Amino acid sequence: METIKNYLETMFQNLPNTAEVKKAKMELGQMMEDKYTELIQEGKSENEAVGTVISEFGNLEELAESLGIKEVVQEEKETLRRIITLDEAKEFIKDKIRHAYFIAIGVLLCILSPCGCILFDYYAPSLEVVLGCTLLFVLVAMGVGMFVFSGLSMGKWEFMDKELCCMEIKTAEYVKREQEGYRMIHIGKLTIGVILCIISVIPVMIISEIEGMAKSESIGVVFMFVAVAIAVFLFVSAGIQSGAYEKLLGQSYYSGTNTIYTEKQKRITHYNNKIVENIMSVYWPTITCIYLCWSFLTYDWHFTWIIWVLAAVVEMFINTIFKE
Amino acid sequence: MSGISSDVIRGYNDTMILYLLLDEPSYGYEISKRIKQLSNDKYIIKETTLYSAFTRLEKNGYVESFRMEDKENVKRRTYYRITEAGKTYYKEKCEEWYVTKEVVEMFIQAGNLHTAEGGTTIL
Repeated sequence: METIKNYLETMFQNLPNTAEVKKAKMELGQMMEDKYTELIQEGKSENEAVGTVISEFGNLEELAESLGIKEVVQEEKETLRRIITLDEAKEFIKDKIRHAYFIAIGVLLCILSPCGCILFDYYAPSLEVVLGCTLLFVLVAMGVGMFVFSGLSMGKWEFMDKELCCMEIKTAEYVKREQEGYRMIHIGKLTIGVILCIISVIPVMIISEIEGMAKSESIGVVFMFVAVAIAVFLFVSAGIQSGAYEKLLGQSYYSGTNTIYTEKQKRITHYNNKIVENIMSVYWPTITCIYLCWSFLTYDWHFTWIIWVLAAVVEMFINTIFKE
Repeated sequence: MSGISSDVIRGYNDTMILYLLLDEPSYGYEISKRIKQLSNDKYIIKETTLYSAFTRLEKNGYVESFRMEDKENVKRRTYYRITEAGKTYYKEKCEEWYVTKEVVEMFIQAGNLHTAEGGTTIL
């Protein structure tokens, strides 16, 4: 019932507050409520009832003349946005899920890529360069290939970033239901990912403690890579999929002849200092670069990772001081 | 094709509503429900269509509205009652429909016969 009330509010939001408009809103609301109550009594689910009531509502254009709001309604139509239809929303979600798995598998391959080198280093050092490195580059190439392919194939949805879009309220309802249905899977993926990250170091610890097993340590390391790779796979695929729902719901709603624009949440952080803003735009790539240079030059991999922690702390400081 | 063309039926929404008000006054949802029932679910009138019909009928003096508690005494609703002018208008519309139907059907029949003959030839 709440959805129906919101729907009606949305429809009437931009109309003048005259006696006729108020009366129409009340009467229409009453009819919708009656229909909703009866559908629920017939044993229909909440979603079905809301869907039926909204789909049988009609559109405000029909009321325009009797309410003396013709001008308002026509004005509204001129500012029409690109409408995302229900089918498009479904397709977008489907594409995004596929994209999520492509990217996640790509990342997984990249993380697994050094495993060959690690294993050969211990068991067959003579093959390390030939086979290990070949495997490394093949896996990285496959991973990058997947990023590029998937990224390009998502190109057809670029309009969502460029144009002002909106969708019908029933489409928004659909997306919300999908998002709700996905919520537990999302939580599950993140939980399993975190658990994998934590337990990933256990084999290394155990193997290194056992006498005479030192040589097998590489198996532990490989296990760690595999566990982390699976965890990252879960994080990435979960993140992209839930991003798809948020992206759609970030669009404004369109209903009948009435368009409501909801300001999209701005994710980009703004700084009140131009120089700081410029520095921050290349902050993380720079950190990555420093990390790689430092690590490759000194081979202190066991220690250099500390830069990530430091970088995160520094970023937090900068954000608190300079953020608008 | 089970759907109904809203263009065709638009001119007769008022007639349907007046018909339902002939016996007793009624209110929005009840009328829309009875239209659905009487048409065997073939025609579902949209809320906005119904409401604009009410305002139009009232403006033309064919119906009067009044506030009353419904039969179960649950809610105060806006009821509509048909006026004498409304009854006259209803009769006019009925006659208009007979003529319309007669004229349109001549062409529909012709089309039907044409395909029926075609079918017979094949048989």
